[in-house]
Amino acid sequence: MSAYLTVEELDGLMEINLRHDWVFANLRELQETLDEIEPVAHRLVRFQCGALQNFDLAGAWILYERSMDFEEIGVKTEFENFRARHFKFLQHIIDLAAQKEYIPGFFDPKPHHYWRDGIRGIGANTIEAVDSVGYIARAVLDGIKRPSRLVIGETIRQVHATGAAAIPIVSVICFLMGVVLAFQSARQLEQFGANIFMVDLVANAILRELGVLLAAIMVAGRSGSAFAAALGTMKLTEEVDALRVMGLNPNQILIIPRVLGLVIALPLLTVFANAAGLLGGAFIGATVLDINWFAFTERLAITIQVNDVLVGLSKAPAFAFLIAVTGTLRGMQVKGSAEELGRLTTMAVVQSIFLIIVADAIFTVVYSRIGF
Amino acid sequence: MDEQHQHVISIRGLVNRFGRQVVHDHLELDVRRDEILGIVGGSGAGKSVLLRSILGLHGPNEGDISVLDHPIRHHEPGPHKKWGVLFQGGALLSGLTVQENVELPIALHSDLPVETRRELAVLKIFMVGLDLTAASKYPNELSGGMRKRASLARALALEPKLLFLDEPTAGLDPISATEFDQLVSFLHANLDLTIVMITHDVDSLFSLCDRVAVLVNKGIIVDTLDELVKHPDPWIQEYFGDPRAVRARAAARRRSASRRGPG
Ligand SMILES: Nc1ncnc2c1ncn2[C@@H]1O[C@H](COP(=O)(O)OP(=O)(O)O)[C@@H](O)[C@H]1O
Ligand SMILES: [Mg+2]
Repeated sequence: MSAYLTVEELDGLMEINLRHDWVFANLRELQETLDEIEPVAHRLVRFQCGALQNFDLAGAWILYERSMDFEEIGVKTEFENFRARHFKFLQHIIDLAAQKEYIPGFFDPKPHHYWRDGIRGIGANTIEAVDSVGYIARAVLDGIKRPSRLVIGETIRQVHATGAAAIPIVSVICFLMGVVLAFQSARQLEQFGANIFMVDLVANAILRELGVLLAAIMVAGRSGSAFAAALGTMKLTEEVDALRVMGLNPNQILIIPRVLGLVIALPLLTVFANAAGLLGGAFIGATVLDINWFAFTERLAITIQVNDVLVGLSKAPAFAFLIAVTGTLRGMQVKGSAEELGRLTTMAVVQSIFLIIVADAIFTVVYSRIGF
Repeated sequence: MDEQHQHVISIRGLVNRFGRQVVHDHLELDVRRDEILGIVGGSGAGKSVLLRSILGLHGPNEGDISVLDHPIRHHEPGPHKKWGVLFQGGALLSGLTVQENVELPIALHSDLPVETRRELAVLKIFMVGLDLTAASKYPNELSGGMRKRASLARALALEPKLLFLDEPTAGLDPISATEFDQLVSFLHANLDLTIVMITHDVDSLFSLCDRVAVLVNKGIIVDTLDELVKHPDPWIQEYFGDPRAVRARAAARRRSASRRGPG
């Protein structure tokens, strides 16, 4: 028979000799072996435990559980020849089982009510949004009311971390965007022999829209997530509480420098983005499209007005504000678990990019209405 | 061979350096089967680094460590199913309930049906003195003492032969600390467990430990408490000369006297 037990049947009595290791590692097989036993025809089942080698709580548990199954169908069970230590295990199990009534279904998840949960979710989100506005307003007021030295130093650090450090990657991306735009527009314009208008298209697209948009999206991915993760971790490790009890206002020294820093950094970053985009266009012009550097700049001077540059730059502080506020706010909402931190960091990035695009659409409509 | 087999952990020539700072200098340590070994030492003496080396979480500069006849190498799997660790902060996964935390190692290392996994987890949770209400809570909803207990239940989930405790009573109030000591002593009496315990709690040392390892001068001194209190090393003298240590020792002596006494 099985490696773990042998069964002898005498009239009315079933004797089960346990052998080998009744331990956690073998539990699956032990369970299957025990399940095969059919004691229906007997009045008494006796477990002989003298030949048991190793025995642990898990092994004791399934033995006990099976014996309870037998009792339930009216078969008496008893244990014999336990070594002292093994007996203690079993006794311990019985004590534990008696101590609390074990309810198997206890941890089953509660049923979902889709409609009710959905409507509740909308309500909760609305409250949260209103709450957020108040929170930001208070943070900003706190910052303005009592500006401290700490804030200035921290703001400068943030300008460096979110702006200066992002210059290479943003420049490369915008350069490539300039290249792409130049190629795509040249393909269309070639048919009319009007290659030179490529400059108009590239310059307008980069300066009015794409430079600032790409910089903002890049920053949302880089710094928005960093803000949420940093503040969220500080919440989890009680650093935020520590600041508070030291009499420092977390809004003031965590949120204000980040918002301020990004509002300063993103317009500056946009200047680099714009320059890199134009450079990309000029590069393709000079190398592929027969528009040399001189012709490019000449055409640029004719087609571009100051307000084209200002349109792009004026969006930057607004985008920066949205990114920084979303990131820091989501970070401050973290509580309890590392999973929450991940969820809110993701949310910070997704929402800030969403808000950037929405804001950009509004800007474009408004500017074209007023002819800016 | 038989002598070797009695040692659950053996450490030979362990050297740990950080830059020019030497933390362990050719340290040797043997942990015997079924004992409770306490590890003490001043702050920065290298207790945590020693524990991390034993667990394979830190790669030592030199030396050999073997745990349950399994050579330990940095970044390589150790005897996961045979050891349990209670980290100082508990290190329960914050996104799971206590019951899910305890069930996790069982689910990872066996193919048992859900029902059995659940029962075993609940059994372990009962065993450390928690109830079903605590089992359904998330770690951040528990008190410090309960978190330690829950973490202990997880450490015991796979029926380990070897249990590491890192400052188990640090941060607990004296009553919870005493209860925790009693729990450890109870488990040690009922399960085949070897326990290695880093602690600063002299009450735990005197009430639980068979032997104590003291980390001093980049090395280690291991002995029973009765012998250690006579050791000439100045740090040891200061440590056990401390009023709290003297009180704990007196209490331990009273306890063992009353156990041996009439009755
Ligand atoms: N990752 C590390 N890098 C540099 N030094 C370390 C590192 N980990 C520990 N140390 C140093 O090793 C020494 C021992 O540390 P540790 O084992 O944490 O002490 P303790 O006995 O208080 O637990 C300390 O001086 C600590 O500064
Ligand atoms: Mg330490």
